[in-house]
Amino acid sequence: MHQKLSFYVDRDSFLHHLNPLTKLTLVLTLVILSFLGLSYWLPTIIFLFIIIPLSFLGKVAQEFFNATVKLLLPVVGFLFVMQAFFHPDGTQVIFSIWIFDVTVESLSFAYLTASRILTMVASFLILLLTTHPSDLMSDLTRRGVSGNLSYVITSTLQIIPQMQVKAGTIIDAQQSRGLETTGNVFNRVKAVVPLVGPLVFGSLVEVEERAIAIEARAFTAPLKKTSLREIPDRAAERAARWIFIGVIIIAIGLRIWLL
Amino acid sequence: MALVELSSVTYTYPTTDKPALKDINLKVEQGEFLAIVGSNEAGKSTLCYTISGFIPHFFHGDLVGEVQVAGLNLEESKLNEWVLNVGLVFQNPFNQISGSKFTVFEEIAFGLENLGVKRSEMIERVERAMELTGISDLADRSPYSLSGGQQQKVALTSILVMEPQVFVLDEPTSQLDPIGAREVFEVIKEMSRAGITVIMAEHKIEWVAEFADRVIAMHDGQIIIEGSPQEVLTSPLLPEHGIGTSRYTQAAKQARTEGLFSETTPLPVTLDQAVAGFSGGNHED
Repeated sequence: MHQKLSFYVDRDSFLHHLNPLTKLTLVLTLVILSFLGLSYWLPTIIFLFIIIPLSFLGKVAQEFFNATVKLLLPVVGFLFVMQAFFHPDGTQVIFSIWIFDVTVESLSFAYLTASRILTMVASFLILLLTTHPSDLMSDLTRRGVSGNLSYVITSTLQIIPQMQVKAGTIIDAQQSRGLETTGNVFNRVKAVVPLVGPLVFGSLVEVEERAIAIEARAFTAPLKKTSLREIPDRAAERAARWIFIGVIIIAIGLRIWLL
Repeated sequence: MALVELSSVTYTYPTTDKPALKDINLKVEQGEFLAIVGSNEAGKSTLCYTISGFIPHFFHGDLVGEVQVAGLNLEESKLNEWVLNVGLVFQNPFNQISGSKFTVFEEIAFGLENLGVKRSEMIERVERAMELTGISDLADRSPYSLSGGQQQKVALTSILVMEPQVFVLDEPTSQLDPIGAREVFEVIKEMSRAGITVIMAEHKIEWVAEFADRVIAMHDGQIIIEGSPQEVLTSPLLPEHGIGTSRYTQAAKQARTEGLFSETTPLPVTLDQAVAGFSGGNHED
């Protein structure tokens, strides 16, 4: 059955109606602020007091928390543990396991890194949850981003689920001929080999046909492309984007001046 | 002057020495429905790719002779100009979906976006094309959620909406189930009725017999016979070159050996002709 590889949730909210570029600029501003290191707690504050409220404003809080707990926290948690144990500097040892020491410094560094990554990924998550991929790419193409790049991004979103379906079919076919695909790790790894051939070579053949198909649809015509999707952009949003850019410039200025 | 004109066209793919097309001469008039029949490897697809410009511009290789569509010369034109005159639909419906669009409506509009058509005109043209091919009810579906037959109708509509002068179809139903194939044929018939020039390579002889104005049969890169469906499809040259014949022709031939079908009545290729022939009447109309 058809699935899609897109976080987009179709709701009617203030965030959904914003121009994609406005949201993208906001996200970049938040990410840059988190990484500039103006203040130790800034990434945490952005996450708690900007990103979480935004998820409610966009009416996607439930999906946001789901994705954060299931996808983000395990990754960020792993990162935190690794940094806490393997950060090289640090003198104030809290506890040790074998030759690895957890120090105040390593713990503090681990928290900063984890909170930055969390804030960065969560900001993009808000963008993806409230922006249809076609809208984002159409808007960027209209503003001069290469049509080829947009095509690669939007088609990847569609093609990956199709490849998953195809991989499933190939596995079924191999299993019906007696291939062991379950059981211990060794069996499972062995089972991947007969999957890769048909999947990869099949895809290469498809690439040629798809190239012909989009060429037949005038994809490379040397004309300025138009878009079926109508994407709103208000004067207030243009002003907001300049404000975000101003914030970024001031933040970078502060960073250089404070250093 | 004919809309499509090939003069002494010989073509060899880059990886082989043996030409895939040998000295092809062909004219197709505006509004005509030309069918190409032939066994596998006869050069049907190669001919389709040549008329639609992908040979030599996409597959490269060695093209000798002249190909003209609507007064333009293929070798002097760029592929991205050529596709505006000649639309191509091929076998696999799945690979013809652009892959970057989330609904059928957007998918059909893809070509018009690339041509820079204004949004209001785009919507109007997409709606009109979908109406002609009878897929208006699929507008909001994902192209990937459709059956093969529906996908192929979307592929046809996606080209139709760009309003090419010539439609080239390379076995458009070979990967579809019988119901899907019938539906796609109905759409092609509808397009032909609307005055569009169609060039179609096809295995299903009964359909060719019913739809085509003219048929060419190919073998080993050459046109072996050319004429009306009745003339070509009953020719003894077809079985000699491994090309299937209509089941009505086969039945009548068999009946003739038993004295059940008149020697003077031409062999039938369609159901109607067969009925007329077997009931003793002359089917010439």
